[in-house]
Amino acid sequence: MMYGYEWDTTTWLTYATSILPIILIGLTVTLKAAAAGFAIALVLGLVFALLRRSRIKAVSWATAFVVEFLRDTPLLVQLFFLYYVLPEFGIVLPAFLTGALALGLQYAAYTSEVYRGGIEAIPRGQWEAATALNLTRRQTYLDIVLPQAVPRIVPAMGNYLVAMIKETPVLSVVTVLEMMGLANMISERTFEYLVPLTMVGLIFLLLTLICSALLHRLQMALPKAGIPMR
Amino acid sequence: MDWTAYLPMLWQGAVVTMTITLAAIAVGIVFAFVFGVMRVEGGPILSTVALCYTEVFRGTSLFVQLFWFYYALPLVGLSFDPVTTGILVLAAHAGGYGSEIVRGALSSVSVQQLEAARALNFSRLQTLFRISLPQAVVEMMPAFGNLAIETLKLSSLVSLISIADLTFSAQSIRNITLDSASIYSVTLLCYFAMSLLLMVGVRLIERFVRRGNAFPRAAHS
Amino acid sequence: MHITKIAGLSALALVVGIASANALTVDEVKQQAYIRAATANEVPYSYMQPDGTSAGIGPDVATAVLKSMGVEEINWTVTPFGTLIPGLKAGRFDFAAAEQNISPERCKQVAFSEPNSSYGEGLLVKKGNPKKLTTYADIAKDPSLKVAVVSGANNVDFLRAVGVKDEQIVFIPANADAIPTVQSRVDAYAATELTVSELAKDQANVEQVAPFTDPIVNDAPVRNYGGFAFRPEDKELRDAFNTALVEFRKTDEYKAILGKYGLSEQSIAAAAAKNVADLCAGK
Repeated sequence: MMYGYEWDTTTWLTYATSILPIILIGLTVTLKAAAAGFAIALVLGLVFALLRRSRIKAVSWATAFVVEFLRDTPLLVQLFFLYYVLPEFGIVLPAFLTGALALGLQYAAYTSEVYRGGIEAIPRGQWEAATALNLTRRQTYLDIVLPQAVPRIVPAMGNYLVAMIKETPVLSVVTVLEMMGLANMISERTFEYLVPLTMVGLIFLLLTLICSALLHRLQMALPKAGIPMR
Repeated sequence: MDWTAYLPMLWQGAVVTMTITLAAIAVGIVFAFVFGVMRVEGGPILSTVALCYTEVFRGTSLFVQLFWFYYALPLVGLSFDPVTTGILVLAAHAGGYGSEIVRGALSSVSVQQLEAARALNFSRLQTLFRISLPQAVVEMMPAFGNLAIETLKLSSLVSLISIADLTFSAQSIRNITLDSASIYSVTLLCYFAMSLLLMVGVRLIERFVRRGNAFPRAAHS
Repeated sequence: MHITKIAGLSALALVVGIASANALTVDEVKQQAYIRAATANEVPYSYMQPDGTSAGIGPDVATAVLKSMGVEEINWTVTPFGTLIPGLKAGRFDFAAAEQNISPERCKQVAFSEPNSSYGEGLLVKKGNPKKLTTYADIAKDPSLKVAVVSGANNVDFLRAVGVKDEQIVFIPANADAIPTVQSRVDAYAATELTVSELAKDQANVEQVAPFTDPIVNDAPVRNYGGFAFRPEDKELRDAFNTALVEFRKTDEYKAILGKYGLSEQSIAAAAAKNVADLCAGK
């Protein structure tokens, strides 16, 4: 990459340094959107996972269908649907929230599978012991099942967070001014695509590497046996 | 609902989507194997090259990659037509994830197999093609199946570089009829149907792979 | 360091050399018997019809002019408005027929033909014009108002010139997204008068602001002049096109086409009165 650096001594460097603040502002929007989307995915995914385990067949199957539908259809089309169709029913969410909702829904389908896998990996003995001790369902989940499931699912969840960050550029098609959308707008005005797009690509790469490293640290730090929930 | 008049346009878009997806999967598998093997078997240089490829195409957003190859690269002289660009970028992206799958599966071949191969005087290439890969392929199938579905979903992004795929056709029709609800619902159902078809296809290939003589079941000892 | 610099510069020179050696000439176009054009799907300037044919002020005129030059076939690409010039420069098509306003900024990037049409500005609002808007400056007066603009279009410059703040501006990817956006997310959509009148046709929920006053920028009401954009290196092609275009402008067929799409006699005359050199210089 020293060769690339050589090029930057022409006006490209001034171009890059001058648009860097704008790109960083876009980065904050990107991160906020990913955080909001991930929060929705975590909560909704758990709801889906628990509904899937319901004893009422209709609920279980309906949830399975919804989850499969969300998993097998593109985020872009889901986003268009939410952005253009909801207002027809009177629900006008700001573009940012629409984007976060779309991200959250799509990834809730993934996280529900992770939750399910984590919960099902708890040995039967734990469930039986909980019944033997007369614990209610709520106590079983909060004190026995979830604390043991959490360390197991953290790696997969972390990977999905990173994946979600990388899917945030899709939000630019519904007017959200995140990093990629801003880079595109800059390029459309200056007619110079190479520098902004490369900068955005590099920032994403950096984000991925940093998040993966942090995730690794988190995995190391989590107690293997489980985290007490209260 | 007079949008039914636009079904032919949607169908054409679906055909384009399926073609691009299958082409991207095919080329992506090639990339995956080439770079996966390079990573495992290559010397320090090849291995690093493979690592870079994997990290770059996995670590940056497909959206950014598409725009970069479509708008930025031509300014330095390298330009392909939209469809080729779309297929190549999708394939490179899928190959990035695929190469990790290949690497993982190759690494999971039990050491005893490799030692036995060495004892029988197999060359490295022979070990790779006759012992490691056949067993690894069985391991890779489920993950590749998921990757195929992901590629189908990601193919919708090529509509943003003016390729007339299913999403692009849906947008065009919606712009004319202004009927968002029905058009987007139909489009989502189309993608869902294509995903299910793809899953069936992957299952069939998986069964073929597990049954054939050339690919014995992985020996877990 | 030296070697890398020299190698880099020679590689660049080679690439540039190859690129400029590929300047499209009229003979080449005639030989391959087709030319590639781009549209941004903006009714009535330039758009595609469901059956795959092109229509609009730009395409109709371009088809007639190219026919007189001996080129019968045009391959159309639909691309977002903001990517017309980048796509042109990247060689994705040979000219843009979207009636883009000939501005000094754009002239630095592409070679425009003589102006083909002239048009003023317009605003699309919810039915009944609840915010009582009559011009762009009204939006600036109330900071809570939001206005949508197509990404890459120069209406945003006029908005900014009359004092509209960046927080008030929403960029939409395409003209067709304007109606749902105005209905539920913004108070107005700023575009050319013809675009707005086309959008508002037969719509129950949105309407064109009338009467409307063009924004005053640099002490004069804004007037746009639309033209065809070519790559700077394809000068020969552009000049040949210009000759044919100027000839075509004198015919009745030309006036009929522009009249069909709603342009008045005055705006047709106004376009003929300007030339591209003046417009690029900012006059």
